[in-house]
Amino acid sequence: MSLLFVLDVIAILIVMYLYRVVRGPTVFDRLLGLNGISTKAIILLVVIGTVYERVEMFVDISTGYALLNLVGVLAITKYLTQRWRA
Amino acid sequence: MNAIYTKRLAYWTAVLFVLWLMLSESFNALHMAVGFSAALLVALLRTDLGAERTYVIRWWRALLYIPWLFSRILVSGVHVSYLILHPRLPIKPVLFRHRADLGSDEAVLLMGNSITLTPGTVTVEADDEELIVHALDEDSTGDVLSQRLEKMVARVFPAGGGRR
Amino acid sequence: MIGIGLFFLVVAAVGMVRLPDVFTRSHAVSLTDSLGAFFVLMGLATYHGFSTNTFRILVVLALLILVNPVISHATVRAALRSGQKPVAEDRR
Repeated sequence: MSLLFVLDVIAILIVMYLYRVVRGPTVFDRLLGLNGISTKAIILLVVIGTVYERVEMFVDISTGYALLNLVGVLAITKYLTQRWRA
Repeated sequence: MNAIYTKRLAYWTAVLFVLWLMLSESFNALHMAVGFSAALLVALLRTDLGAERTYVIRWWRALLYIPWLFSRILVSGVHVSYLILHPRLPIKPVLFRHRADLGSDEAVLLMGNSITLTPGTVTVEADDEELIVHALDEDSTGDVLSQRLEKMVARVFPAGGGRR
Repeated sequence: MIGIGLFFLVVAAVGMVRLPDVFTRSHAVSLTDSLGAFFVLMGLATYHGFSTNTFRILVVLALLILVNPVISHATVRAALRSGQKPVAEDRR
């Protein structure tokens, strides 16, 4: 299986998640969609790295991306629980 | 600056430095010096005085736990895929409460993470003795309700580790 | 191997669109994280044979597997606490 095909499929999947982000009835749907997109982006980065045979560079970027995703989502959920508790 | 503190500091510095070496693969003096100081800095920041480790891990049980969990994930993943791809979407979500008598916070952490990682079940709330779990249908609840997962976790963290 | 992972990723995206509420959708996301990412990244790790890059990709995979349950748990908990009603039989 060619890696470019994998790239295409993941790009289409990101569009499907984007539908949920744009359309999602609640904030949490959007958040979940964004989480899915960032997981896809991490996989996508590693695939791109394999295509260009520079995995070591892209893996660093994707590690940073995963950590940023964690911190961002935790901050947003913390904010949302506090706001709606009152 | 007691002995335990120094030991843990050395341990974490060594672990982080080895990780750095494996990730960077550059062995000249400058890079290694930067890596060592970064490892030392992080170890200094994370090792706080006095906080003792209160739990015990049986490492061979942990090594057995990972393939077991993976086989369960594979089975329920195929099941959830079938549910999603079924044209009539035959889901029947349930929200249930599960009492778990686990010794330590770390065991609860491992159990909650395993439940969420398994497709079909998500931990919604977790505290010392209860977990509230959301499951996609009746079949997915099996491993949690039959306490198989709980027994496996209890083998990794044997009782006797006190609560913090 | 990459093909199996890709299949799970596609199923998860379909589930993301089809399933009715936040709680059920989070199951789709956990399907992506555990199986999809596992198979795709393992396939990529051994794509050019074993090298030091295999280890790097395994580090990313471990990070993903540790971090993603935390994220979906946080999202679902925030949703429940802020009063979202799940489409579910309530047996609490």
